[in-house]
Amino acid sequence: MSASTDCMAAPDSTTDHSLVAAYRGGEERAAAELVGRHGPAVGRFLYSSGAAAEELDDLVQETLFRAFRRLDTWRGEASFRSWLLTIASNLLKDHVRSRKDRHIVSLDQHELRDSADPHADYAASETEERLRQELSRLPRLQREVFLLRAQHGSDYGDIATALGTTAGAARVHYHHAVKRLKELFG
Amino acid sequence: MSDCTWLSDRMPTVALGQGDWTADEVQHLSGCPSCRREWELVRATSRLGDRPAAEVDIPSLAQAVLHRLGRSTGPQRKWKVWRFAALAAAAALVGVLWTGRSEQPLPGSASAPIVAGLQIPLPELDELRPEELDSVLRGMDQPAPDVDTLETTDPGVMESPEPETVYDYWEG
Repeated sequence: MSASTDCMAAPDSTTDHSLVAAYRGGEERAAAELVGRHGPAVGRFLYSSGAAAEELDDLVQETLFRAFRRLDTWRGEASFRSWLLTIASNLLKDHVRSRKDRHIVSLDQHELRDSADPHADYAASETEERLRQELSRLPRLQREVFLLRAQHGSDYGDIATALGTTAGAARVHYHHAVKRLKELFG
Repeated sequence: MSDCTWLSDRMPTVALGQGDWTADEVQHLSGCPSCRREWELVRATSRLGDRPAAEVDIPSLAQAVLHRLGRSTGPQRKWKVWRFAALAAAAALVGVLWTGRSEQPLPGSASAPIVAGLQIPLPELDELRPEELDSVLRGMDQPAPDVDTLETTDPGVMESPEPETVYDYWEG
């Protein structure tokens, strides 16, 4: 059996190339399309990495702004999304450093939505918060590899290119992260 | 590759809805607590942040990013900034030239008070009807074509050496 997921291409990567080319040619609509396509993914990644929900808008905007300003540095070796998420990760690192304290939204601050099953929602939120906290305690590279793989479906080759490591090393980081995190679900 | 490693590699695909478990994989999951815990973890992670990310207003976000890019001096938009700067400079130059030109006394308007003060008899004009006289006066108010004119009688500000020579000759 072969690891078919390793060959799994990032969705719409070809179109990302053409959109980036269109934007470089002066088409602003292409940029809006890229923002619509990857903005929510950047938000999920940042939130999972420890960003506070109320800061998400600003952080996503800053990530995309920095990415478009540095678009010349994306050569298409890694997928556009993986490249974007590494920018988000660097931004968050700088943001946390500048604030000197990591801000994780605690459960009592967390707004629960109206739901037909509030108990199930609460349990889901509790699990989510514990997972976020455990993720934030992981070494940075382990966290990035794990989120790129488990949350965004990137293959190890793509992750390795985006993070400047090897596919083998990325696989090892992933399994270390899994080993630590799955105790949550024991 | 063991079944556990195979399953581990398949988990993101299934969690993100890009594939389904096979019957064999389901059977392995039900009998392997370690894989089941990993599967719970990957499934929870694939959904992590869905709610706060869904609250990000994408149209506003796109608008804000494009707005900032339009004002930035990043490499993608430099040509636009330069084009705008060139247009602004050209407009400013035209404005300065136009203002400078309109501040110069026009031959007709400058000479009119002098002519009026001199009380020079002009019998030709006396014979004109009022509407003909108005027409002549309107014609005098039009700016003259570009010709070299002597706008001052002060020899100190004359630039051409020729009038100075004439002046010196007058003074003897």
